[in-house]
Amino acid sequence: MTAFFRPSEYHRPNNLSEAAQLLSNFGKKAKLIAGGTDLLVTKPPEVECLIDVANLDLNYIRKDDDGIKIGAATTVDVIESSEILSSGPYVVLSEAAGVMATPAVRNMATIGGNICNASPAADLSLALMVLDSTAKVAGQGESRILPISDIFEDVNKTTLKEDELLVEIHIPLVTRTTGASFIKLRHHQTSVDIAIVNVAARLTCSKDHCEDVRIALGAVAKKPVYAKKAEKFLIGKRLDAELIQESAEAAAGESKPIDDVRASAGYRKKMVPILVKRALEDCVRRCGTWQK
Amino acid sequence: MAKINLNISVNGRRYQLAVEPYETLLDVLRNRLGLTGTKMGCGSGECGACTVNINGWAILSCLTLAVQTDGKEIQTIEGLQKRPDELHPLQEAFVKHAAVQCGYCTPGMIMASKAILDHNPNPSEDAVRKGLSGNLCRCTGYDRQVKAVLEAARTIRKAQHE
Repeated sequence: MTAFFRPSEYHRPNNLSEAAQLLSNFGKKAKLIAGGTDLLVTKPPEVECLIDVANLDLNYIRKDDDGIKIGAATTVDVIESSEILSSGPYVVLSEAAGVMATPAVRNMATIGGNICNASPAADLSLALMVLDSTAKVAGQGESRILPISDIFEDVNKTTLKEDELLVEIHIPLVTRTTGASFIKLRHHQTSVDIAIVNVAARLTCSKDHCEDVRIALGAVAKKPVYAKKAEKFLIGKRLDAELIQESAEAAAGESKPIDDVRASAGYRKKMVPILVKRALEDCVRRCGTWQK
Repeated sequence: MAKINLNISVNGRRYQLAVEPYETLLDVLRNRLGLTGTKMGCGSGECGACTVNINGWAILSCLTLAVQTDGKEIQTIEGLQKRPDELHPLQEAFVKHAAVQCGYCTPGMIMASKAILDHNPNPSEDAVRKGLSGNLCRCTGYDRQVKAVLEAARTIRKAQHE
């Protein structure tokens, strides 16, 4: 085997069963390609077969009574400018799309690629997590549906089986008294910078009480994670500045960041409560029930 | 597996090629078609020097496999001029504002600018800055390029009204 990225096969299947068959035939030597903006950066030398999802008709955003459905091969720029995702709590997803990488990368990169690359800092994954999205995964057998967060196993590793591919994201409809927010901390030298810490939050309020809340943290663990203790702090309680501060600090306690080229673990840990607090305040404002 | 057949249009000219699955669009443009205006910078999607337009959208040719562009219309810096002796308004404006120093980022910068203006003929300064945020220039800074794009936008709009 050479040490270079030199796949010798390229397939563009026309349907999901063909794709699953190819994935199964080539096993670990196969790699799906959508936008290619992660694959052609890492260029894994073990890949011998590329399976392009371009002809699988997975490029769409639809809304019906059941919720919002997004095809896995929908590009990030389409999500960024989607009318369907331009209001209500769904803006958390278009906001995340708008600050991901650069315009040219967003024109190529897909939502499915961002999820399945399983980066702990994936922007779109966090937004989808707080919207309680599910993923439809197809393989040789029956397709299955799982919560978005169940896709992530470890750094750049998903729980998908060898013959499976992500097909569609489903975002359930949310009530009107919900606000959501996405905040990304990064170096500003280039807009391609991956998050030092990123946070998404979604708050469902009734008057000034928190009915339901989701907080997701990125770049502070081996995979994107919910800050469950921080969420528990808020549920059923009256929202005020003190409670939000306590919840934000609880989130910091749950994070397990590492040192890397972008920031130290200590810095990340200090930034978590600040970003969570800001995200929750945004959510409250957007719910329209902020009590000063 | 044999090479893959590829049908693409580059700057309005059709090409039929047989390419390896791992060849990038940048490789094909530069090494097979001799279109060396498009530059290889970082090779990892950070710098934007390799920006070309596919079906009117700016993309990075170093992160795109040639096989992914089958059936598509590609435009590079070489395809901007209608005639050899007449520069595109973007090129004119870059010259006028001296928005070029070493020139390595310029083809990518101009193609990214072209995509901005194709989708928004009257962009705000902020929209231009955001649109060029993926194109790094290590010589001049960015003010001159932004001014050049805004001027080119005015020139193109004016020409369309005449």
